[in-house]
Amino acid sequence: MWKTVSAGATRVEPAVKQFLPPCQVRCPINEDIQRTNVLISLLPEDPELATDGVIQIGDYLYDRNPLFNICGYVCGLCELDCNYQSKGGAIRRRLLKRFVSDTYTYHLDRKEEFNIAKQKENVAIVGGGPAGLMCAFDLSKRGYRATIFEASDRLGGALWLIPRYRLPEKVLTSACENLVRIAGIDVKYNTRVGGGKLTLERLKNEGYKAVFVAEGTPAPRVLTFGREKVEGQELSGVMYGNMFLYEVSHGNIKPGYFKGQRVIVVGGGNVAFDVARTARRLGGETTVVCLECENKKSRDGIPADVDEIRGAWEEGIKIVYSRGVRKIVGESERVKKIECPKCTNVFDESGFNPKFDTSDAIELSGDVLIITVGQGMERGALQDLLDERGGLAVDPLTLESSKKEWVFIGGDLRRIGFMAEAMKEGLIAAESIERYLRGLDIREGRKIDFEPQDIPLRRYYLNEPEVLWIPPEKRLHFQLFERGFTLTEAIEEAKRCLTCGPCISCKACVSVGIQEALPTVKVYEDRCSGCGVCSSVCYYSSAQLKEVEGKRKSTTDMFKCKSCGMCVVACPSAARELTGCNMEKRIQEVYASL
Amino acid sequence: MAGKPKVVITWLGACGGCDEAIVDLHEAILNVAEAVDIVFWPVALDYKYKHLQSMQDGEIALSLITGSVRNSEHEEVAKMLRKKSQLVIAFGACACFGGTPGLANFRTKEDIFTWVYRDAPTVVNPKANVPQTKTWVDGKELTLPDFYTHVYTLNQMIPVDYYLPGCPPPPDLIGNMVQAVLSGDLPPKGSALAPRNSLCDVCDRNKTKPYRIELKEIKRIHEVEADPETCFLAKGIICMGPATRAGCGESCIRTNTPCRGCFGPVEGVQDSGARFISALASLFKVSKDDDIKQIMDGIADPAGTFYRFTQASSILGTKKIEKTEEV
Amino acid sequence: MKNYEPKLICFSCNFGWGFLTGEEKLKSKVKNWIPVACSGKIETTHVLKAFQQGADGVLILGCPEGHCHFQDGNYQTSKKVHLLQRVLDAYGIDQKRVKMVFAVDSEGKKIPQLVNEMSEGIRHLGPMKPV
Repeated sequence: MWKTVSAGATRVEPAVKQFLPPCQVRCPINEDIQRTNVLISLLPEDPELATDGVIQIGDYLYDRNPLFNICGYVCGLCELDCNYQSKGGAIRRRLLKRFVSDTYTYHLDRKEEFNIAKQKENVAIVGGGPAGLMCAFDLSKRGYRATIFEASDRLGGALWLIPRYRLPEKVLTSACENLVRIAGIDVKYNTRVGGGKLTLERLKNEGYKAVFVAEGTPAPRVLTFGREKVEGQELSGVMYGNMFLYEVSHGNIKPGYFKGQRVIVVGGGNVAFDVARTARRLGGETTVVCLECENKKSRDGIPADVDEIRGAWEEGIKIVYSRGVRKIVGESERVKKIECPKCTNVFDESGFNPKFDTSDAIELSGDVLIITVGQGMERGALQDLLDERGGLAVDPLTLESSKKEWVFIGGDLRRIGFMAEAMKEGLIAAESIERYLRGLDIREGRKIDFEPQDIPLRRYYLNEPEVLWIPPEKRLHFQLFERGFTLTEAIEEAKRCLTCGPCISCKACVSVGIQEALPTVKVYEDRCSGCGVCSSVCYYSSAQLKEVEGKRKSTTDMFKCKSCGMCVVACPSAARELTGCNMEKRIQEVYASL
Repeated sequence: MAGKPKVVITWLGACGGCDEAIVDLHEAILNVAEAVDIVFWPVALDYKYKHLQSMQDGEIALSLITGSVRNSEHEEVAKMLRKKSQLVIAFGACACFGGTPGLANFRTKEDIFTWVYRDAPTVVNPKANVPQTKTWVDGKELTLPDFYTHVYTLNQMIPVDYYLPGCPPPPDLIGNMVQAVLSGDLPPKGSALAPRNSLCDVCDRNKTKPYRIELKEIKRIHEVEADPETCFLAKGIICMGPATRAGCGESCIRTNTPCRGCFGPVEGVQDSGARFISALASLFKVSKDDDIKQIMDGIADPAGTFYRFTQASSILGTKKIEKTEEV
Repeated sequence: MKNYEPKLICFSCNFGWGFLTGEEKLKSKVKNWIPVACSGKIETTHVLKAFQQGADGVLILGCPEGHCHFQDGNYQTSKKVHLLQRVLDAYGIDQKRVKMVFAVDSEGKKIPQLVNEMSEGIRHLGPMKPV
C-alpha cells in the first residue's frame, strides 16, 4: 500500500543555511515542490491504487497551502527558475500540481474539519481573496478566531477575474468554501469595512484585537495619455477590463454577447489577454492594442505571458503593438473608433514614461472598447492608513501599518502581484499578528534570504513533454482548453525532476520507506590522499578538494550532498563512508548465511 | 654470545631484488652489521639451514623474509623462522602481497608446467620431464620441494608482525625499519612500515588534475609521449597511484612512468585492485552504452594491470583456478 | 550437478524495484536479497566478497537509462561491472555469474522470476567453492 508519512524523521526540516532548490526559492510561499515531485514519481501505475496516494500528497500540500488546487491552473512561477530550463525545458510543475488537484478538488468536499480549539483572540480579516483566506487559515491553525469580512457575496477576490477556460469554477469555489469550513472560519458576506458605518475603529471596539486589511484593488485604472485622462471613457460601449471579467464570472453575460461586434482591448498585460480571449469566446472580432513592443526580451516588451499571446493569436485575435490611445471618438454617445499614435518608448530611467510620435497615428474602429490598463485601491475607505503622499503607510517586512499598530496590510492592496504573492503576505501577516498579540518582537528573524542550488550533472537531459491544447477552432468556449496529465504522464514528468535541493528540504524517499533515514557522508581526512576521484564522480558538486594545512583533502558540502554514495564507492583509499546506512550490515548478514 | 641481536635475512620465492635493496644501503650497511649479528643471509653469507635449526625458539631477534610461498621448502623455512624469531617482517611486495609471482594464480599448475617444461619456444625436452619431488640417482634418493598449486603470501602461512612493502622497498624505508627495530619504537603489530596514504598524497603531478576527470579512452604508456608533469590518469594513462600506498619516493613517476602498484593497498584496504576498478570506472564518461563495453574491452589485461603485485592477497586471492568441464 | 540450486545474491535498487510492495513481503519471495537505495552504491568489493563467501552468482537490478534518482548511479554500476567481469574472467569466474538488469518494476513482481532465469543461466557452470 502506497504510504507516505510526514511526521518525525520524515518531516521537512527548516532550511538551516537557507538553501533550497530554485523552484522553491521562486515560489512566494516556498512550497515543498521537490518533495511532492518525488512523491508523485513514486506513485503506483495503477490509477485506482494511485488515487489514495494522490490524496495523501494533496493532504500534505493542503496543510501548508489550502489554495493549492487553484495554483495548478493559474500559477507556475516555480517553472521560471527551474534549473532544467537550460537543458531541455523546465519541469512542468504547474501541471503536476494540477494533476493532484484534479483528484483532490473532489476529495476536498469530504475532507474533515480540523476542529482546532480556538482559545486565542478574535482577529478580523478584511477581504476574502487569497491573502485574506491564507491569513485566516494560518491564524485558525494557530488557535485564533478569525472572521473574514467580505464585501461581495462570494470568497475568492481577484481570482474571479480569471476566465473559466483557465480556472474551472468548481476548483475555485471548492477551494474557498472548503477552506473556511475546514479551518472553522466565520465569514460575513456582503459586509464592507471602511467608508461607512463599519470602520476599523469599530472593529476594534467590537473585540477584534488585530485586523488584516487585504481588500485588493477593485478600482480600474482610467486610460490616460501622458498625464491627461483620455476623453470619451463615459461613452456607451466603453468598459473596464476587470469589471467586465467580474460580470462574466457572475454569469451575467450571455453567450454570443459580442457576436458581430468588433472589440478593441487596450492593454498588454495578462489581464488584457484574459479580456481579449473572453471577448473572442463571446463572439467578438477582437484586437488588442498595447503600448509595448513585440520583443519580450527588451525592456519595453509586452508583459503578457508567451502562452497567452500564442493562445490569443491562435484564436484569431489581432495584436497591435507599440500604440497608445490619444482619443476615443464616439457617435451618438456610442464609441466608434480610437486614435492611436505610435509609442516609441515605454520605460526610461525614471520608470514608466511612455513617449509618442503623434505624426504616426492610426485609427482603429470598434463597437466595444475594453480598457484594461491596471487596477488600484479604493482610497476612500482607507484614509486612516495613508501617509502624506497618499500611499499606504506600511512596513514591508512585517506588513504592520505605520499608522495603527494593530492593523496589518497586505495582498494586491499593498502591492499588485501574483496570487501566490498575495498568499505569502497573508502568511506574513498571520505571523506578525501572532507576535504582536503575544508581545514578541515583531521584526526579529523575519528576513530570510534563500540561496538556490545548482543543477545536478548527468549524462542525458530529457526534453519537456508537449503541452496539449485543444485546436483553436474547437476551443472557443469556456471549458478548459489545456489537457492535464494522465497518471502515467505525471509520473514520468515528476521523474524528470532533478531534485536540485538539499535532502533536508525534501525527505520524500524516507517518507515513502525507500530509505530508513538520510545517511550522511563522512570523510576520514587522515585516510584521504587528495586524489580527486570523488570530485570527478560527484554529480552534485558536493565532494570538493580543499587545501588543509598545505595538503589537498576531500571535503563534503553537506547542503549539496545527497548521500548517494557514489564518492564512497569510487574512493580508491576507502576514505569515505556512509553513516546511518545499514547496507553494510545487511550484506554481512546475507553473506554469512550463504 | 650475548649482546648483539640476531638477524636473519632470507628469500623464499624471490628474485633477489629485496636483498639488492638492502645492499643499496651502501655504507650504512656497515653500521647495521655493527649493531646486529646477521646469522643467515643466503645471498651474502654461507650459513646453512642446520645453523638455523640449531637455534632456540625466540633466539632470533628479527627475521626479514622476502619472496612469496610457492613450494614446500618455502613453507618449511617460513614456519621454522616464525618459531625461532621474536619479530618476523614480510619484506617486499612478494612477501606482503604475493608480488608479481602472484599472477601465476591465474593459471593452473598443469598449465604452468606444460608451458615451462614442454611448450615454451626455447624448450628442448623430448621426454617432457617435469620436476619430481623424489627421484633415484645412482641408488640415492634425491628430493625436491613440492611445487604448490597456488602462490601464497607470507601471512597466509605464518603470523607476520610487520610489513615492508615495495618492489623492492627503498633504502630509506629499510633504514627506518632497522632504526625502529633497534630502538624498539615500533607501531602496533600488523602495521606496514610505510606511509598510510596513497601515492597521490605526495605525487607532484596530483595538483595538475582538472576538477573533473572525464576519460573517453585509455592509452598505454608506450603508445604516447607522456608529458613529464601532468597526472597520468587525467590523460587516460592507467596509473595505480590513487590506490597504492606511498613511500617509494615516486621513483617510477619521476622517470615518466605511471605507478604499477608495487606498494600494495593503502592502510585499511585489503584489495587495492577492487578499489581501483571502481575509481577508474567512475572516471569514464562516454555517451552510449555500447561505447562503455568497447572502452573496457580496450584495456589490455585488466587483471594483470590491477593485480600486478597484489593478486595473492586480493579478496579472491586464495581461489584456486581449476579446469572447468565444458557442458 | 543435477540437484544443485545456484546461490544467487540479488541486489536491487529501491527507487526502481519493489518500493510499492515493501521489504517484508518481498523478503519471503527472494532469497539473499539486498535492497539498496541506488545500484550505484554497490561496490566492487561487495561483488568480490560475494564470490569469496560462496555465492554462485550476483544479480544487480538497477534503473533504466536516464531514470536514476541520483542522476547516473546505474551508469556507474554498469561501467564497474563491465570492467569487473573481465577481471573475474582471469580468476576463472565466468562472466555470466554477474548480471545486471536495468528496468523498472515498482511492485517487484518480476524479481523472483529474474532470479530464476539467472539461476537457469548459470546452473551449467556448477557451484563456486568458497575461497
